Amino acid sequence: MSPKKPNNGHQRERILSRVAADEFVGRTGALERIVKLSADREARGLLLLLAPSAGVSELLRQAYDQLFHAHTEAVPVYFSLSRKEKNPAQVARRFLYAFLQQLAAFHLREPRLVNASLTKTDLLDLSPPADYEWIERLLAIAESESAGHDEQSLVRLCLSVPERAMTKGVRSFVMLDAAQLIEASEMEISLGAEFVRALTRSRIPFVLAGLRRQVLDLVHNTLGDFDGLERLHLDRLDDDEAGRLVEYVTRREQVGLNDATRDLIVQQLDGSPLFINALVEAAREKKRPLTSFRNCQRLYVEEVMGGRIHRHFSSIMDELAPTSELRRALIRLLYETSASDTRKSTVEVWRKRLDITSAQLQRLLHGLNVHELANVNGSLVEMNSAPLVWHDYLRARYEWEVLAEPRASVLAGLLTELLKRAPQTMEQHYRREAALGLGDLLSLFDCQRVPASLLHYDRFSRLYKGLDAEEAASLLEAETDLVRLPQIVSVANTTAFHPPVQMQLEEGRSVIAHGFDAGSYSEASEVVWLAAEIDSKMEAGRGLAEMWHNRLTHLARTRSFERVRVWLISREGFTNDALEFLNEQEAYSSSRRQLEALTSRIGQGEIKQAQATDEFELAIPMGEETELIAAHTVEQIARRSKFQPEAINQIKTALIEACINATEHSLSTDRKIYQRFRLESDRLVVTVSSRGLRLPENYLETDVPGRSNGNGQEEKAQGRRGWGLRLIRTLMDEVEFERVDDGTRLRMTKYLRKP
Amino acid sequence: MAEMLTGVTVRSRVVGGAAVVYASDYLNKLSGERIERECRLQLEAGRRALVVNFRDTELVNSIGVSILMGIIDAAESVGAQLVFSDMSAQTVELFEMLGLTRFVALAKTEAEALATLSGFAAASQGSGH
Repeated sequence: MSPKKPNNGHQRERILSRVAADEFVGRTGALERIVKLSADREARGLLLLLAPSAGVSELLRQAYDQLFHAHTEAVPVYFSLSRKEKNPAQVARRFLYAFLQQLAAFHLREPRLVNASLTKTDLLDLSPPADYEWIERLLAIAESESAGHDEQSLVRLCLSVPERAMTKGVRSFVMLDAAQLIEASEMEISLGAEFVRALTRSRIPFVLAGLRRQVLDLVHNTLGDFDGLERLHLDRLDDDEAGRLVEYVTRREQVGLNDATRDLIVQQLDGSPLFINALVEAAREKKRPLTSFRNCQRLYVEEVMGGRIHRHFSSIMDELAPTSELRRALIRLLYETSASDTRKSTVEVWRKRLDITSAQLQRLLHGLNVHELANVNGSLVEMNSAPLVWHDYLRARYEWEVLAEPRASVLAGLLTELLKRAPQTMEQHYRREAALGLGDLLSLFDCQRVPASLLHYDRFSRLYKGLDAEEAASLLEAETDLVRLPQIVSVANTTAFHPPVQMQLEEGRSVIAHGFDAGSYSEASEVVWLAAEIDSKMEAGRGLAEMWHNRLTHLARTRSFERVRVWLISREGFTNDALEFLNEQEAYSSSRRQLEALTSRIGQGEIKQAQATDEFELAIPMGEETELIAAHTVEQIARRSKFQPEAINQIKTALIEACINATEHSLSTDRKIYQRFRLESDRLVVTVSSRGLRLPENYLETDVPGRSNGNGQEEKAQGRRGWGLRLIRTLMDEVEFERVDDGTRLRMTKYLRKP
Repeated sequence: MAEMLTGVTVRSRVVGGAAVVYASDYLNKLSGERIERECRLQLEAGRRALVVNFRDTELVNSIGVSILMGIIDAAESVGAQLVFSDMSAQTVELFEMLGLTRFVALAKTEAEALATLSGFAAASQGSGH
């Protein structure tokens, strides 16, 4: 019941982090994991496996700052490799000095030392007295090794500093950033391998972060296995997290934004923190608000053609193809392969068209694979379809460098194309969001027996239409005609089997699931389910059902699937003539309601919980008893979730108090109270906010009891201060105040309790 | 006794020597002040037995409750008896939460409240007001 303490991250001095702790979004779980790892005496290493452009540096810097300020037992050490560094000995020496400098800063509790420029003498002067001797000796040996010519020996010496410190009782926690950059082909020494060996040998916990494909290869090739090493995948931010990041960054940079452009940015930049930051910084520099699609796309095109996004991909291209001639040929080949129907080409074609040696080609393909721009599978090279940003960059460079079109023409062409694409991008996003999660559901099929009516819309409609959910659920429970589901072993989007241009499917709305009937792994019981969600506002008619059935069965024939089961889902079910056809074909048919019943039966509600979420917004003017409008609104909303009358009254009263609070405290100039009501499966979350003065930080501690003496004088003196908050806290299950930039937000949660 | 409207919308009536004041459906600052005003008028008229009837009250806010505190104090200061009646379970719960029930008597119905106050009502009548 007690509210959370306000996050005071913004008050902490930043050392390496670039943003305040409370503005760091989207990686909370990973951050907690890293911080926890530092204190784990049993742990060895954590491999942070990044999807390309997922971003990891800020995560590690945040972890560093948190650990530094917490003054943990283990000395945090953050080391980032630079793309420009090609000399292993220099990198290793820099690691040694960075380690000792961060050790001194941590020991002296002096954050400024972490970023200071220190000489060897400074380092020694600042070293902890107990460590002076071994540090001095280590630096002396390093100097003498530098004078010699044994580079490998010097590298190993420098990288052994965590291990040497450990033997002297100094426990460190090394976080190594951008490990993918330490495998430059021209290095004779594999610095990556040396780091992996040194860290695993040191018996300290560590983090090794880098592109997932490369880190896995590096560790596997160096150690042979992943014994004792944990793995944590960092994918792109999900849409909510990315949206929050866009909001935070634009607010920080004072760049205008609205809901529509925020969503476009998230979709177009594929939720990449790197690209989001690049775009917003460009907007700030050019003083252009991100408040229209036109502005967003214009800035984006400029970024792709010459800004940070351009530099990001260009540095990868420079790495893959060091000469301008090879780069040009590579861009041509990449673009033309991407634009082809199959998006594939053979390795032999690549070798001939690039006119390079097999060894050079091998390195180039390895690079493309590591950056996930292409998948190399035996003799085939297949282009990846995502992310959009890469394809826009590739298109711009192709038109500009290969076709030699004027820059202005390329810019105009790309911009107009993007403006046309923006609504489609959003449409795809909305459809994806509204999808029923067929893949997740099918992957839970594991020989369960379910009522047959869940897979036959005609039966379901006849038996359960018009009944409420609980009544239908109890009748379904009693159904005796059951169907045994197969055990599904693999689920993939249909687009993975068929080129998207032909199928024109949105991701996730049609899937192909391979499995076995009765869980028996034999040829005879092998079965492929082809499921598709049909877009229809009403019951889907025969024409639509036939088209989809034929489309899927055609695909099954082309892929030589022997035993198949077609399952069509239409939100509102199917018309009688459509059902007649589907029954003739022995295809299954379901409505959204059937799918939900099936999900709750076999998935225990674990699929798409977000679907159970319903959100409402309301803005009311302050005063004139408008809080009653809010109270009546929340009553209607709470009733939808079958809250008991007593609970509804409590919610209404709490909301009224919150509205009064906002009116009294905010001095709001727009005189409005913004409310959001989110219904989840087990709770109602009410958020009340207003623009204006923020509540004082100690507001939550204000809690004035009722009259404490018989004559009411004390009460009269104190007025009714604190009663509203006291009521809210008593009536609701969770209450949380958040001071935001331009006001205060109160979040109240009431859990649903069965009578 | 005839019910009447006083001020803007507050209804009240006098039963014997007791005054009954009816709260509206939403007890907030405005309606609370109307009740307070009516109670003070009744006290000034010499009534020493007051009932505030909450039969129509569905929602209560903290400002309204704080005004009720003022009414309790006003009654106490002149030695009058005050009873709240016909409150819904939610309103009772709210008053309990805020400690109001420690300072005022509650009755399930108006009749019960008037019965409780009959002695004071007689005193009010006897005082000549």
